Amino acid sequence: MPLLSRVHRAAVRSRRRRTTTLAAVLSTLVLFSGTVAFAATGTPTSEYDLKAVFLFQFAHFVTWPARSFRSENSPITIGVLGKDPFGTTLDAIVADELVGGRKLVVRRYQLVDQVDECHVLFISASEEPRLPSVLARLKGRSILTVGDTKDFAAQDGIVGFTVDKKRLKLRVNLAAADSANLTISSKLLRQADVVRGQGKR
Amino acid sequence: MIDSRSTVPVLSLGLRSVRERLAGPLLAALFCVSLSFAISVAEPTVESPSALKKLSLEELFTIEITSVSKTPEASSETAAAIRVVTQDDIRKMGALSIPEALRFIPGVEVARVDSRQYAITARGFNGTIANKLLVLIDGRSVHTPLYSGVFWDAQDTFLDDIEQIEVIRGPGATVWGTNAVNGVINVITKPVASTQGFLVTAGGGDVERGFGGVRYGGKLGARAHFRAYGKYFDRGPSLRPNGDDAGDDFQMPQGGFRVDWSPSASDAVTFQGDIYAGSVEQPSSEDTDLTGGNLLARWSRTFSPKSDIQINAYYDRTNRTIPSTLREGLDTYDLAMRHRIAFAGRHEIVWGLGYRQYFDDIRNGPALAFLPPQLQRREYNGFIQDEIALDERRVRCTVGSKFEHNDYTGMEYQPSVRLAWTPTTKHTVWAAASRAVRTPSRIDRDLYVPATGPFLLAGGPNFDSEVLHALELGLKAQLNDKLTTSLASYYNSYDKLRSLETGTFPILLANGVRGNSYGVEASAIYQPRSWCRLSTGYTFERLELETEPGSSDTSQVKQEGDSPRHRWYLQTSISLPHDVEFDWSVRTIGELPSEDVPDYVAWDGRLGWQPSAAVEFSLVGRDLFDRQHAEFGTPASRREIGRSVYGKVTCRF
Repeated sequence: MPLLSRVHRAAVRSRRRRTTTLAAVLSTLVLFSGTVAFAATGTPTSEYDLKAVFLFQFAHFVTWPARSFRSENSPITIGVLGKDPFGTTLDAIVADELVGGRKLVVRRYQLVDQVDECHVLFISASEEPRLPSVLARLKGRSILTVGDTKDFAAQDGIVGFTVDKKRLKLRVNLAAADSANLTISSKLLRQADVVRGQGKR
Repeated sequence: MIDSRSTVPVLSLGLRSVRERLAGPLLAALFCVSLSFAISVAEPTVESPSALKKLSLEELFTIEITSVSKTPEASSETAAAIRVVTQDDIRKMGALSIPEALRFIPGVEVARVDSRQYAITARGFNGTIANKLLVLIDGRSVHTPLYSGVFWDAQDTFLDDIEQIEVIRGPGATVWGTNAVNGVINVITKPVASTQGFLVTAGGGDVERGFGGVRYGGKLGARAHFRAYGKYFDRGPSLRPNGDDAGDDFQMPQGGFRVDWSPSASDAVTFQGDIYAGSVEQPSSEDTDLTGGNLLARWSRTFSPKSDIQINAYYDRTNRTIPSTLREGLDTYDLAMRHRIAFAGRHEIVWGLGYRQYFDDIRNGPALAFLPPQLQRREYNGFIQDEIALDERRVRCTVGSKFEHNDYTGMEYQPSVRLAWTPTTKHTVWAAASRAVRTPSRIDRDLYVPATGPFLLAGGPNFDSEVLHALELGLKAQLNDKLTTSLASYYNSYDKLRSLETGTFPILLANGVRGNSYGVEASAIYQPRSWCRLSTGYTFERLELETEPGSSDTSQVKQEGDSPRHRWYLQTSISLPHDVEFDWSVRTIGELPSEDVPDYVAWDGRLGWQPSAAVEFSLVGRDLFDRQHAEFGTPASRREIGRSVYGKVTCRF
């Protein structure tokens, strides 16, 4: 009886191994033939590509006080603080663009103390643990702070990106924008959720 | 011959053959369904950044996005076989514990032993007291000096607060130190600022009878955030091979907190801690109890983009009572510092110092004893590593060594050389040569069976460190925006592995086994559409051990058959309309000849519905086409894992 059951089991096992192998080979084949078929079609829009376009668009919809520019023709600086999620996309988007007669440049900073003349500052998720003190350091300066960490706008950042149903949304903290002397166009505000900040900047 | 399965051959064979006949076609059918979805459903708006720029503001808000990062992940340029399990992966797997989140990593073996125990290793040598893997939770080593391994039942956290789990296969000893012989697992929780507000989860099912947790995160003034959590689970028993309940029900409440404080823009301070108290029912004795807690403080300061320092200190207490076997209380104190400095454009040096102290206090039972029962051990170490960028950063060479002193064997050195060549941003070829050691643990030196003489078995008074020399070669390629592949291979040579010298009386533990292992781990992640993702991996490994001349070992050599030679998995995630997610996975695990565990195929599935960002419902099924199967242990004593289903609700507010 044990011998019989062992024979049965061996038969089952070899059949199982065969189906398993077959399934593995089949799916791998399908997977890789799929790769070839799809290689030619387009890419879904990457979250950070779209965010990079927004950083560029903010230059159109925000008015900075004249004193935040060193001269009449000094560029609008878009800064990235901390780990850069955009790769080369942001540079490609602003290359050769003019907004209000000004060129656009991208600068990258590791520390908040390095942020000099800057107009739009994207604060990367890597800075999240230090966010309150980073924002405190920028207090009183006319910099549009942008972030995508949770409650960025409620934590006294000016513009927070959020994702809802796979669409990008904006949250704008108007009190923070006011205290930075920035005017945000109503055209942009109509598309955004306006939130109240927790305190003064 | 007693074989539980032979008593019900008709029934079990009947069920099995149905499953066998179903498995292949079902896999193929599901695959075709997923793919035909991918082909037939209209492509959502696809735009390049330059085209996006021309859209109006209104249009930009209607674009559907995917969070797949275009910049290659840092892990893809690392000269090591590294895999990152993200929070999203954990959620989609429906994992309720850390071990369950490690199931789909090439090269990592996860075998469930019973309701609470797991045998987990990387690249061979699996067992319930596997000893070649280092595991850290937020920088705290959860290794036990009792056997140089991990008591997986006591390692838990609030799973929704995990940011990611980094898994490095192969030696990581140069930076991580002793016990990072075959791999390192790093569980990293999210910064507190990103876990603000309430998160409540609750659920239950047939095996996971009930589980739930609450986390709340808030602010402490302008510069600090905190969070606190409490959780509980009640897990039903595992099964005996004949299908009977094994009576090892497991319950554990756990709580914890974390505070992140940034006193200035260049400083970050973290305090965190956990406390837990689990109990595991036993069929014929009192419960096995495990309690403990830990407190950790970390301070990091950034001097400049080129220089930063981190200081880490923790205290950990664990208690374990196994009725009539042993009671252990272990206190661990650890202090470590690490400094990074970049200079001359191409050098990045990381160096550090560390000190650890253990106080182990054991109350021995009659069956076995650790002698002396109380033991204090100290370890101190230093390491230095230089990463040198060459040829316009396309070639990076990392050279370094750890120097570590322990009370058993004195000074140990663990050097490594790693080379990464990145000819394009999408391809990395890497190679590494390393030496790593596993220093003796209490089981190797202090174990006596029975507890009082004359002893049948005794730890080796001269037991030395086990030594590994490893060669690794790997390739990572991002073939296009949708397909990322990775291949890792290794040749490991082991010396002075633990042996059981049966030629003496008492039987002694010694270093009489040597051998080598080699293997290949291949994986691919393929995302044809933003709503469809496939991940597959295959592992081949082979271990060949032999006894040293003069050794009378016969049992340790059987470790060759404690790991499956072939393993394969496929995971599929599909986002359906109306915020519904469908995830399913299949894995096939080869047989374990030494344990007489047959090969098995396991199917898991999850259906999730997220009607808003605040609420998620999910239904998870495990081992769907299998009444029960064994993953580890010999037939006479092992427990098996049965099919299970649970539902779960998660709310954020």
